[in-house]
Amino acid sequence: MTGPLLTVESLCVDYEQRRAGLFSSRARTLRAVDGISFELAEGETLGIVGETGCGKTSLGKAILQLVKASAGRVIWRGVDLARTDAETLTRLRSELQIVFQDPLSALNPRMPVGEIVSEPLRVHAPDISAKERQAAVAAMFERVGLRTEMTRGYPNEFSAGQCQRISIARAMITQPRLLVCDEPVSALDVSIQAQICNLLRRLQRETGISILFISHDLSVLRYMSHRVMVLYLGRLMEIGRRDELFDNPRHPYSRALIDAIPEADPNQSPLGMADALPGEIPSALDPPSGCVFRTRCPIATPECARERPPDECIAESHRVSCHHWRQARSQ
Amino acid sequence: MSPLLEIRGLSVRFDVGDATLTAVRDLSFDIAEGQCVGIVGESGAGKSQTFLAALGLLAENAKAEGSVRYRGREILNVPRRELDTLRGRRIAMVFQDPLSGLTPTLRVGRQIEEAARRHLGMNARQARAKAREMLETVRMPDAEHCLDAYPFELSGGMRQRVMIALGMICRPDLLIADEPTTALDVTIQAQILGLLAEMRRELNTSIVLITHDLAVAAGLCDRIMILYNGRLMESGTTSEVFTSPKHPYTAGLLASLPSLASDPATDLPAISGQPPDAFVTTPGCAFAERCLQVMDRCRIERPVLAAHEGRHAAACHLNTK
Repeated sequence: MTGPLLTVESLCVDYEQRRAGLFSSRARTLRAVDGISFELAEGETLGIVGETGCGKTSLGKAILQLVKASAGRVIWRGVDLARTDAETLTRLRSELQIVFQDPLSALNPRMPVGEIVSEPLRVHAPDISAKERQAAVAAMFERVGLRTEMTRGYPNEFSAGQCQRISIARAMITQPRLLVCDEPVSALDVSIQAQICNLLRRLQRETGISILFISHDLSVLRYMSHRVMVLYLGRLMEIGRRDELFDNPRHPYSRALIDAIPEADPNQSPLGMADALPGEIPSALDPPSGCVFRTRCPIATPECARERPPDECIAESHRVSCHHWRQARSQ
Repeated sequence: MSPLLEIRGLSVRFDVGDATLTAVRDLSFDIAEGQCVGIVGESGAGKSQTFLAALGLLAENAKAEGSVRYRGREILNVPRRELDTLRGRRIAMVFQDPLSGLTPTLRVGRQIEEAARRHLGMNARQARAKAREMLETVRMPDAEHCLDAYPFELSGGMRQRVMIALGMICRPDLLIADEPTTALDVTIQAQILGLLAEMRRELNTSIVLITHDLAVAAGLCDRIMILYNGRLMESGTTSEVFTSPKHPYTAGLLASLPSLASDPATDLPAISGQPPDAFVTTPGCAFAERCLQVMDRCRIERPVLAAHEGRHAAACHLNTK
């Protein structure tokens, strides 16, 4: 692995919310992603985890230039994506693909699935013949575990798991180098989840593709990722290698998230689990001052309300944003 | 002692145009007093329809057959008036999406007060006090403020607390919780599961927890029933089912779960194939097509399970050789 494929620098995403009043309308700004930086290497999977409103989906979309970043940079193989010309961006887009959570709503219901999968080729490789395109689609269907005669079917004829395979085929057909997977298995049944996880891992082994794997489920994320990034209310709480983060989380929020995972263990009682992390996630329209996690944090001090904690590099490729990470360690 | 809820030979069929969809197929089991039973299965397994049928809440195009007895009294397909003495009073239900269970245009306090006045015959002042008491019981942060809030002003976790408060107002014998934490974030899920465990300990309410998530059922439940294609595949105590599953489907589900202990270097042992079609009824075992230990017999002869004896049992020919 050489230099990073993708570099994200202090990325911010703002959404403007207009509240129409009787006599005036005032705009409020919701900062969904707040100064996030990280790098992604070739063939690496970075897991992004966090609860509702933590900015994980906005971050993925901003990297793919599907929403506009209000500050910061996304650098893909040396090119600043927000500042490059339209032609280059279109060309680079074939290298950047996305798979969504709800496979059925991500597929055009009026198009045979074979055409859905071949469509990106029409855009990104207009020169190849219809025959070549067909062959590529057939080969892709087999690679994702679908039969080639299924290309004539429509999305509603397929199960959720099969639709997700079709979405993955569509994303992979342009031979991308980065796949953003936004909760790709959350809408699937347990027995199908494992199939799709295995498929993504196999495709990565075969093609060396990099993956940003967005999920709220830490057990799935641990299984899929080389490194893990924990977000809360748009900010980075902690990022580090998988084993380091799971075995030795330094941020109190990472610790709480790991503790809250129910395990398939009959000896684990939910009594007392309620105290693991009390309180509610604050509104992103009105985030707490200083550290955004302080209102639920078990070790918060007055300092946390005054000052936003810096991203502190505490080991090679392990960063934490907490004033008291040294204390959190001993808990 | 007769069980709290006794389900025998329950089937639920839906008329869909000219076809018939079978959601629940000849299901029999008991819910004993004071127990917490996890009904676990994937989408289309029939877990919700079983209890919607029991409470007379099925859709118009659905028909239920068989028998459901509450404390020995038949409640399946009885007139609505008879059910009204049970629903909301002796048996309460909490749904996955709490917003759909609350009236959007009424303040939360009003809705709980209404239940108190209707079911407990309280006057306005008593009902107000009861509403506050219930919100405190479910550990609602800032209960006073919540009384005057509309449902949309509350977060998902808070709405689910309101639903549980509404469900528990008459101290029911049985609380049916249908995927109560599926729409919630993990840290909020932990709070709600903890709350259910507390309610059960303090009020001795029996709980039926309907869930697709084995891990959620593991901590809270005493017994587990595994449903697949509308049929009961396995039934036993939680530790029996989790530590020595008898049905290959249960074993497959447990193996395919990524856990914090599993080795991320190896592939997950996934169950291959898709769940069967609810429009089709096969003569053999519904899981046969996906089963790694399938025998010729499995495709022709349906294995039966007699779970109401309370023993650990599975509907699988491997167990009856």
